[in-house]
Amino acid sequence: MAVNTNKQSMHEGVPRDGGSEVVFDSVSFTYPGAGERALTDVSIGVRAGEHLGIVGPNGGGKSTLLKLLVGVLVPAAGRVSVAGCEPGVARRERLVGYVPQRSEAGLDWPISVRRAVALPLAAGRTGFTRGGAEERARVDEALGVVGITDLGERRIGTLSGGQFQRAMIARAVASGASVLALDEPTVGVDAEGQQRFADLMRRLRERVGLTVVIVSHDLRAIAAGCDRVACLARTLHYHDAPSGLTPQVLAQVFRHDVEGVFGAVHIDAHEAADCDDPSHGHGQPPGELRGRGDA
Amino acid sequence: MRTIEFLTQNGAAYWWPVLAALLTTLLGGVLSVAVVLKRLAFIGQGVSHAAFGGVGLALLAGVGVGSAAGDLVLLLVLIVFGVGAALGIDLLARSRSARGPGAAGGADTAIGIVLAVSMAMGFVLYRLAAREAVAGGRPAPPGIESVLFGDILSVGPIDVLIAGATLVAVAGVLWWYRGPLVFAGFEPEAAEAFGVRVRALERLLLVLAAVAIVVAVRTAGVVLASAIFVLPAATALRLSNRLSGVMVWSLAVAALGAIGGVVLSFEAGWSTGPSIVLALGAAYGAARVWNALRAG
Repeated sequence: MAVNTNKQSMHEGVPRDGGSEVVFDSVSFTYPGAGERALTDVSIGVRAGEHLGIVGPNGGGKSTLLKLLVGVLVPAAGRVSVAGCEPGVARRERLVGYVPQRSEAGLDWPISVRRAVALPLAAGRTGFTRGGAEERARVDEALGVVGITDLGERRIGTLSGGQFQRAMIARAVASGASVLALDEPTVGVDAEGQQRFADLMRRLRERVGLTVVIVSHDLRAIAAGCDRVACLARTLHYHDAPSGLTPQVLAQVFRHDVEGVFGAVHIDAHEAADCDDPSHGHGQPPGELRGRGDA
Repeated sequence: MRTIEFLTQNGAAYWWPVLAALLTTLLGGVLSVAVVLKRLAFIGQGVSHAAFGGVGLALLAGVGVGSAAGDLVLLLVLIVFGVGAALGIDLLARSRSARGPGAAGGADTAIGIVLAVSMAMGFVLYRLAAREAVAGGRPAPPGIESVLFGDILSVGPIDVLIAGATLVAVAGVLWWYRGPLVFAGFEPEAAEAFGVRVRALERLLLVLAAVAIVVAVRTAGVVLASAIFVLPAATALRLSNRLSGVMVWSLAVAALGAIGGVVLSFEAGWSTGPSIVLALGAAYGAARVWNALRAG
């Protein structure tokens, strides 16, 4: 697709770390005044065109990782690079297309979807320079890719969660970013919207070829077409294909969340095929499941 | 009509106040879109009241009574006070919201503190200055009512020049940085991720608002200045769905409010500042009714 070719060709000659578009190399981060580290010794690489999902509990450092990727935070130790550049440089070059949550936007602003999509392009201009036909064409094309051409003139605050998210993805595409960074993409999106999101991720892979990093505590967002999944609870536990997310791994990653709600629990997650305890109710419809106490 | 009589039969005496009122209200119109959308209305209140503290201090130091040069020095003192108050409130609000829950709560408290302390300080200093002036046989400072509510009939060509220059400067800066300003205002976090210098732009907006409010205090007074930085955009936001449309409406409402207020003050013999605010309030009410009729 034409929208993205400029930036990609611009950075083709830049040496990459082992072919990785995004590199976290032994990255640690501590917020000022906080005793504990938000991230400890995180290393991961994302190849160009790959879709990486990062799943983890609230407070596990997902947002911090994303902020380091977009260059808003600087690591205390270790190194982050995007397309061979420092994140700060990548940020100025708009190499990373950040897709925010809906709650971060001023939804009462009188701004059309087209204008919101064009914001990063307009933000690079001051004074007498104007957008012109090329900018309009980029916005049109990006709206087409995410399938919301008909919503272009709508006021941004009137969009549903799913529509807003597609507008924000269109914005990242129009900005010419080569890496898409999505923050909790399924928050405030209904079931139909989540299916559309999965379809859109597939379409982006086919038509645009962006590198994608999705950060979420919701496995449905991660399952929507990620090639690999990393589990993050302050430090990176594990990363593998989505099929590597066994109940045992998830139980380990989300242990702090579960303990927060239920207190200290013993999690006994296992495959149904390996289980011969009838009280666990494997294979029964959910309505007929009985707790252990009832058995 | 008494308005026409006043304007045609007194030379330029009434033209300067009318022009100053129009330019000041337009200044409010230009900035009010940012003030309302960025929820800076209470910072406006904080700044205008802090300016009162500055008035007290300047009067006590013997600045600004009687001469044009003194008048300019007073304006500079007030601008320093206003900008300091705006940035101080911002800093206080941020440090509080970093510790306590809710950024808005932090800003509210910070503005409450700055507003109350500077008002109290202004009042004490004003009384001291008045007492010293009388004791020293110097001319007494202007009445406290004119400081609080503005004394538009006392303005001259220099005030028109100041209001006009501020209007051109503020509108020019806003227009020049319109691209990054809109992004930073609409979605600060995303804008930062896309390389926009959000904090610098937020400070720029605060400085512009503070300077404009201080200039408006000269004509509209401490209590009413913040109103002209809220009402035009609050009205315009009900009349258009586009940012450019809201900007145009905001200026139109400001102009209408200024002209309507001036006519009202001439015809009914009311003070000009409050008359302008009443006219702007009426425009806001009309826009709400228009919205309700259109929706129903």
